[in-house]
Amino acid sequence: MKRFLMSVVVAATAAIPVLGQKIPVVEKQLPNGFKLLLVERHEEPRIAGGWVAHVGSANERPGITGIAHLFEHMMFKGTPTLGTKDAKRDLEIIGEQEKIRELIRQEESKMRTALRRGEVTDITSPESRTDRYRELEQEFKRLLEEQRTLLVKNEFDRIYTTAGATKMNAFTTEDMTGYFIEVPSNKLELWCWMESERLLRPVFREFYAERDVVFEERRMRTESTPTGKFAEQFNAMFWDAHPYNWPVIGWPSDIPAISKKQADEFYALYYQPQNITLILVGDFKADQAEKLVGEYFGRIPRGNQPPPEVTTLEIQSSAEKRYNAEAEVNPQVDILWRTVAFGHKDSYVLEVIEQLLNGRTGRLYKGLVLGRQVATDAGAANRPMKWAGMFNASAEAKDGKSLDELEQSVYAEIEKLATEPIPADELQKVKNNFAAAEYRRLTTTFGMLYQIIFSEGMGDWREINESGPRIQAVTPEDIQRVVKKYFTKENRAVAHFTRKPGSGGAGEDPDFAGLSADQKPMARQFTKRITETTDAAQLKAMLAGIQGQPAGTDPKRQQLQKIIVRKLEARIAELEKK
Amino acid sequence: MKAIALSLLTLATAASGLLAEIPDRPEKLSFPALTYEPPKPADYRVQLKAGPVAYIATDRALPLVTISVMVRCGSYLEPDGKEGLAEFTGYLLVRGGIASKSAEELEERLAFLAAGLSSGIGDDSGSVSLNLLSKDLPEGLALLREVLTAPRFQKDKFDLHREQSIQGMKQRNDDSGSIQAMEAQRLAYGTNFWASRISTEKSLNALSIDDLKAYHQKWFHPANFVVSASGDFDRDELIAKLETLFANWPFTGEKAPPVPATPTMAAGGVYLVDKDVNQGRVSVMLPGVKRDDPDFPAITVMNDILGGGGFTSRLMNRVRSDEGLAYGAGSSFPGGVHYARAFQAGLSTKSRTVAYATRIVLDEMNRIANTPVTDEEINTAKRSFVDSFPGTFNTKAKIAGQFAADEFTGRFAQDPEYWSKWRSRIETVSKDDVLRVAKQHLHPDKAVILVVGQKEEILKGHPDHPVKLEQLASGKVTQLPLRDPLTQEPVK
Repeated sequence: MKRFLMSVVVAATAAIPVLGQKIPVVEKQLPNGFKLLLVERHEEPRIAGGWVAHVGSANERPGITGIAHLFEHMMFKGTPTLGTKDAKRDLEIIGEQEKIRELIRQEESKMRTALRRGEVTDITSPESRTDRYRELEQEFKRLLEEQRTLLVKNEFDRIYTTAGATKMNAFTTEDMTGYFIEVPSNKLELWCWMESERLLRPVFREFYAERDVVFEERRMRTESTPTGKFAEQFNAMFWDAHPYNWPVIGWPSDIPAISKKQADEFYALYYQPQNITLILVGDFKADQAEKLVGEYFGRIPRGNQPPPEVTTLEIQSSAEKRYNAEAEVNPQVDILWRTVAFGHKDSYVLEVIEQLLNGRTGRLYKGLVLGRQVATDAGAANRPMKWAGMFNASAEAKDGKSLDELEQSVYAEIEKLATEPIPADELQKVKNNFAAAEYRRLTTTFGMLYQIIFSEGMGDWREINESGPRIQAVTPEDIQRVVKKYFTKENRAVAHFTRKPGSGGAGEDPDFAGLSADQKPMARQFTKRITETTDAAQLKAMLAGIQGQPAGTDPKRQQLQKIIVRKLEARIAELEKK
Repeated sequence: MKAIALSLLTLATAASGLLAEIPDRPEKLSFPALTYEPPKPADYRVQLKAGPVAYIATDRALPLVTISVMVRCGSYLEPDGKEGLAEFTGYLLVRGGIASKSAEELEERLAFLAAGLSSGIGDDSGSVSLNLLSKDLPEGLALLREVLTAPRFQKDKFDLHREQSIQGMKQRNDDSGSIQAMEAQRLAYGTNFWASRISTEKSLNALSIDDLKAYHQKWFHPANFVVSASGDFDRDELIAKLETLFANWPFTGEKAPPVPATPTMAAGGVYLVDKDVNQGRVSVMLPGVKRDDPDFPAITVMNDILGGGGFTSRLMNRVRSDEGLAYGAGSSFPGGVHYARAFQAGLSTKSRTVAYATRIVLDEMNRIANTPVTDEEINTAKRSFVDSFPGTFNTKAKIAGQFAADEFTGRFAQDPEYWSKWRSRIETVSKDDVLRVAKQHLHPDKAVILVVGQKEEILKGHPDHPVKLEQLASGKVTQLPLRDPLTQEPVK
């Protein structure tokens, strides 16, 4: 990074000037279709290398949801020369395994039939397997054991690790699959060799064990966490037509049904050079890197059909959606609005709105936590994706506050954004933070790679340099216009989470059993206050106050009153006895 | 393809010394030499007249400055019944206002400057850190001085933090991972060890603002500080600014006493917490070592081969790649600063295969303690440490931060050449060393095994893998109760 002019910075008092601290990306095109992005950075003797395949879960279809992510796992399994001692026999075994798997799939079909007829209740339980299934599994296991004698376990990883590489990993989103690593600066050629080999001739060995690994990943991230299952269902409800409505990890019945053949087809379609961008950041000379990359990746033939793009557009929503869940969480509200895709002209305004709402000096925290005191925490997140976008606001209820009140308080803050122009200072504060972030993002080689992968995967790496000035250009009028346009009732889905009765491990007062989830925190708070009060006279005054109120006709409300009266009377009796 | 490429290839070879043909194996590639020498502490160390030692690393690449003050204090200095005092003090130093500004005014000013100012106190250290644009450094240092000398501990922020903390406490049993972390801590170090103490609603209600003020004035003074600074400044000018920052301290505190170091691990056996999730979490624990143990380099290499090295480790290969039983499986042998930190191996797997996957972990512990590792394994582990070493110091902030941490923990005083010798210490570890330390420290039969998950399903085991939880380690299965999240009393 070059040193820029200090004098300009010193001259600035209020606003942080945006000096065009751009990431100097060199873009090249390989003849076979690969796009290549290069950034020289000589601050550390390392090179961060990555590539992004322009495919994610949005490119899947029902039945094979989760395949993009499963595929990401398979890319680490090696090549004919990496990962096995006998490539020929290895491939033969894989072929024989597939034959058995085909027979197993027939058994699985029978098990699904048994499930539909109610003959079994859970086809994932080991006891639900048919006898034939077990036999086939034994045969498969025998082949696996033979294959294991030839395997060189995780050799792909071992070679990189032995070479001093770090941070090797990959990720899959709705829109992209990214692969990355960091190598010592003298090992650029190793990166070229390893990455081009696995793209040129991958071998998807140990496919079925890896499929089980992915299912464990699903259990870990989605099924055994307090909110995972609910977030997945809420998301599925939010999107109507768009393939964003299934989870990246895949539906639980799809993951174990994906076949290796489907993975092969997926690879052939989406991992063609013209669907992949290669990215290098670090301590190299761009012209030399380009030559080396050209030599290695040039070996990979261009695909013969361009991968299809996602053509489904989300339908116009005609009604608000609501989701009520009892979960092992503190009571909270989660709201999603449909917004715009990455790079849309309004997405920059939404970025600013996110920051106006967020943080300890943001409007949600100040309005809901400090001001109205209805929440213990609140935040917002703008999430533009490649094909469509959403905006999220969430808040956790303060003890005794209802979720309806919490939800309305969020709307009140949104409404204020729509009706009152943002004060200049407040807008400047947000812009200053975006401007400073333009510097902070440049502190490590690896961090820069990650940003380019992400931006390119969303549709265009240029956004890393172009979004900054567009954010600085957002006006108070833009903000009012955008809030009015997207934050409408029809455009939103609202989730209310209440604590699942009996969860948390805390002994719940049995008196509260009949109360609604909204009322329980109120009852708890009252009870706490009553037990902490040592002045009987004060309690008597409270009692009189409650008894003086009309009971109303709502039976739930009457019940709450009754409980509080009972608690008050018991505490007064206790104090007077002393 | 080949014919066309020939002329281009020749060109490329001439230009950068490439191989003319792409080999079938990566070992056939050759690489230019890469020499790297780590930075030396002496080049960055400054003994300030005002008391603290500072490590200062100028970095003119970006207009940013980071200054961090480490403070000798921690939750080990909390009186019984006031668990949470250190965390509250640390949080509210910056979030509770300062003499010249209310909490709100300070937040707004920092946000406007796009500056980060944060504070916190953990088990055995505290820190206050400032990160901002270099143009704002004078103002930032003035604010930092006030945070360190004159925090306001505003009543409304104190009350709010208590409310938020209790709200957070209610979630302690919601995620099986959080239950695992609390129970593993108690099993590994004993319920009476200071680091196993945990705040409760009662202990937070027992805290007062005066407690926070007293804690702050006792420990937050220059004799307890170590400073790191990196970024866009002139070194001499910054030293002068730091002298001013720490001069004329308005109160005298105490020198922090040593951290008590007498943990005791629970008796070997299986400990089970019943929690309704479809994936069980397993921790296998044994007593560990301090990081200044002469065997620590050998232990580090051994653990890397067993389960520390990710995909090159045995646990990952067996549990994940071979069997598809878990997304992740691994081990850590951290080496404590003040006391021996426990060895821990862990994984998460579906309820029915918990016993089987745990058996594999124990078998692998046995294997590495009884059979020498291969040349390839030890080579991979050593190369990985040695050749990724420059990452330890890849930014100026990391250089200043690492050296300051070494000063703080006493490693610099004890072993000033630590980093310059580090690679050779790893290089000299032999296969015999690995076997010896594994034999010395890994005793699967004595392991403390914590399992959190669906009790009934886990105890069933799996028909294909006839291993039962009761057959692991010493064979004793103890059910641990869930604890009330607010009181930590066992729930029936």
